[in-house]
Amino acid sequence: MSRQKKSQGLPPWLIILLVVLAAAGGFYGLHQNGGDASLRTTEELDPAIYYENANSLRGNTYKIDAEIDSALGNSPTKGRLFSVNLRNAAKNGAPVILPVLVPMELGNLTIQKGQHYLMKVKVVEDGLLKVEEARKP
Amino acid sequence: MSGRITCRFRSIQLSSPTTLATLVLCAALHAQSPAAPQDNSQTMRETGQQYKKGNALMSASDNRIMGREGMEASNLALQKSILNSKINTFIAFFNNPLAGTQFEQFLNAPAATSEAAKIYRERIDKIMDLLSSGNTTKENQDAAFVLLPKASEFESDANICTTIHDAVYAAANSRVEIRKLTELNEALEKQRKVAEFNLIQATRDRPLDANAPVDKNNVTNNNANQLLERQARTDPAKRELSSIGQTIEHNKVQIASSALQAKFQFQALILQLFVQRRYQHVIIANRFYRALFDDGDQSLQSFQLMADKLGYNKSAGQAKIMAQAAPNATGATAAGGARGANANAPANNSAPNAATGGGASNSGSGVPAGGGNGAGVGTSASTSDDDSGGATAGSLSGMQFGVENVSVESLMNAVSSGMKMASRTFKSLSQLDGLANEVIRDVNEGVKSYEFLLSQNEIEGATAQLVSVWSKGQYLPSVQLLTQDQKRRSLKFAQLVNKLISSGQSGNMDALTEAVAEIKKVANDFDDTEISANIRATKMASSMHIAQARIAASKGDLQTVQTEITRAAGIWPNNPELQTFSGDMSKLSEQADPRVRALSDFDQFYDQKNFRQIFDGIDKYAVAVATDTSASAGARRDKLEKVKARMQEIETSIMRAQEISKRDDYAGAWEGLEMTFQKYPDDMKLSQMRADLTTQAPDFVHDFRQAKSFEERKEFGSALAWYLRSQSRYPLSDLSKQGIQRVVKLIMPDAN
Repeated sequence: MSRQKKSQGLPPWLIILLVVLAAAGGFYGLHQNGGDASLRTTEELDPAIYYENANSLRGNTYKIDAEIDSALGNSPTKGRLFSVNLRNAAKNGAPVILPVLVPMELGNLTIQKGQHYLMKVKVVEDGLLKVEEARKP
Repeated sequence: MSGRITCRFRSIQLSSPTTLATLVLCAALHAQSPAAPQDNSQTMRETGQQYKKGNALMSASDNRIMGREGMEASNLALQKSILNSKINTFIAFFNNPLAGTQFEQFLNAPAATSEAAKIYRERIDKIMDLLSSGNTTKENQDAAFVLLPKASEFESDANICTTIHDAVYAAANSRVEIRKLTELNEALEKQRKVAEFNLIQATRDRPLDANAPVDKNNVTNNNANQLLERQARTDPAKRELSSIGQTIEHNKVQIASSALQAKFQFQALILQLFVQRRYQHVIIANRFYRALFDDGDQSLQSFQLMADKLGYNKSAGQAKIMAQAAPNATGATAAGGARGANANAPANNSAPNAATGGGASNSGSGVPAGGGNGAGVGTSASTSDDDSGGATAGSLSGMQFGVENVSVESLMNAVSSGMKMASRTFKSLSQLDGLANEVIRDVNEGVKSYEFLLSQNEIEGATAQLVSVWSKGQYLPSVQLLTQDQKRRSLKFAQLVNKLISSGQSGNMDALTEAVAEIKKVANDFDDTEISANIRATKMASSMHIAQARIAASKGDLQTVQTEITRAAGIWPNNPELQTFSGDMSKLSEQADPRVRALSDFDQFYDQKNFRQIFDGIDKYAVAVATDTSASAGARRDKLEKVKARMQEIETSIMRAQEISKRDDYAGAWEGLEMTFQKYPDDMKLSQMRADLTTQAPDFVHDFRQAKSFEERKEFGSALAWYLRSQSRYPLSDLSKQGIQRVVKLIMPDAN
């Protein structure tokens, strides 16, 4: 009778440690998976529709998987203008290279030619794509 | 003496073609035969060139005949309409050389309102009053007789009153002589009765004679002795009785002859005054006649008897006043060197024509074919139209009149015939008196009518009235008192009508139209319907010929051009369309000149912005512009330089594109042309090549055009995307690069 009682008990400090670790992991996981979720729910831009009539897409927000092509301009008031190559080429095989405006709010982003970004863009006036969010995959 | 006097007073001139028509003819005469027509404009040019250079297609006479035919056709129609009009009656009178001059003199004369004229009228009135039927006393007749020489002091009387005075005096003397002879005859009758008694007594036997025989033998002897004695006694008585009888009979004859002579002279004077239209004097003389010959015989029997006694010399023939209306077109062309030769032959032999044409001189006078002397008055056109001295004369004679077979015998015959006619027309002096009074009344009414029509501005009717009253009673006071202003309105009308006629004859439609308008302005009642219709028809006919000439010119048928133009000019020489046509032909001929044509083409191509066409013929145009001396030469040189610079740029661009495309760089070639095309979009060759290259680089061109399109619509985001895309297709694209830079600047004006 005395042997059964000895095998049942874990040290309390171990249990507390495990609980703390579990809580920390959950918090980190939750924290990390929140950004992915916003891009994951955004619709991907159809380049063909954009080329055909960008005005019809005005006000919409899309995500693009782009590679930085070149810097087109830099405005102290409006931000930076880049041309990007979409990873998802057009169905007809034509090159898909789009201009994106990186506003002043995302001034902390370091953008260079050849970098790969997942971007959340909004079609603003004149059919320009304004970057709202960008992260490297 | 026998002869003929011919006077042609109306002659219608066929005017020669006008200067323009002559030019047209001369040009046409020397025109070349037309080449086979290629296209309409080319044919027109060639026709114009031939027209200018000239080539003999028809003889000059053919052209003249054609022109004359046209002119005559139009003129005759017009003249017919003019002559058929109401004015003809008046104008024929006005243009008559016998009456017309006097009438024109009357129209220009002032009114007879002078003091002398007034006194004259008063004296005539006084004489007529003294002799009027209610005042016929011996004293009044004497007073009237005394007034006659006084009335004759005035010029307007023309000494007619003196003539009447002399006639009255002669008649009175005749009556005295008759009275003396009558008295003498009465005395002779008494003598004859005495002589007859004496004869009777002388013829009686004397039975109580103392020597009476007693035996038978003595009785016989006694009877024989008595017979001898009786004869001796009666012979003187018989001679005396016979002498008295002869004297009485002689006196009777003389009485009868004197009375007849006096009456005849007076009646002849009255008739003469009537013919002279001196109606007041007719009345005066007639009243004196009644006073002088108060036997109640008012018949013109004395005049008729005298006329019958004059007889008629049949062998002498009769002097004739000849008047012929024979429209007669004559035309003749005198050959060079034939000056003075009679080259004018009448076309109608029934109308004697005294005109003689010769060389360049055509006076219209000469010797007629008949046996008498003739004189012609008329105008004839004479146009010297070649270097050899040849001449063309044409005339359209109207009427002729004259006196034929003039001799003493024939003139006597004429006087006899005239007297017989007068005696047959007027049977009594009362008839003459009544007629004179009626004419005076009629003239006075006519004058009133004339003045009324004048006030209504109906000049045509007024002038007809004036002619009527003047021809009937030229010397009557009512006619003489018409003012100069009143009469000159008719004179002006007559001059306008003459202008109308001469315009119609000359074929000058403009002058004719102007004349009709002027007459209409002056005379409200002038009916121009027919004349105007004929003018319009004539003008239309001329224009139709010109239209035919244009059609012929477009077909290159210069022969027809020449014919139609000649006809058009013949009908209406001043037709403005003739000048237009001539100008068009000259223009076409000038255009046919290579240098002028090159300049014209240069101007035309430049205006059409067809610079490629100029460039294709640059050598030709460069020479033409370089040698251009016109006022627009400077402007043309500037234009040519611009064309050269432009085409050089285009051609360089094309050549470069061709080179690039040889390396299969179609996008690059297209881009090079595109840049030039944007500057010169109207060059066909450039445009064509650009189109060809578009098919060689369709994606790039499409992307670039899309970019351009969005940029123009100010959709800069889309434009930038398309520019980026076109650049990605052709990274060397300058246009794409420029587009990107341009749009970025628009999106971010402050971009660095």
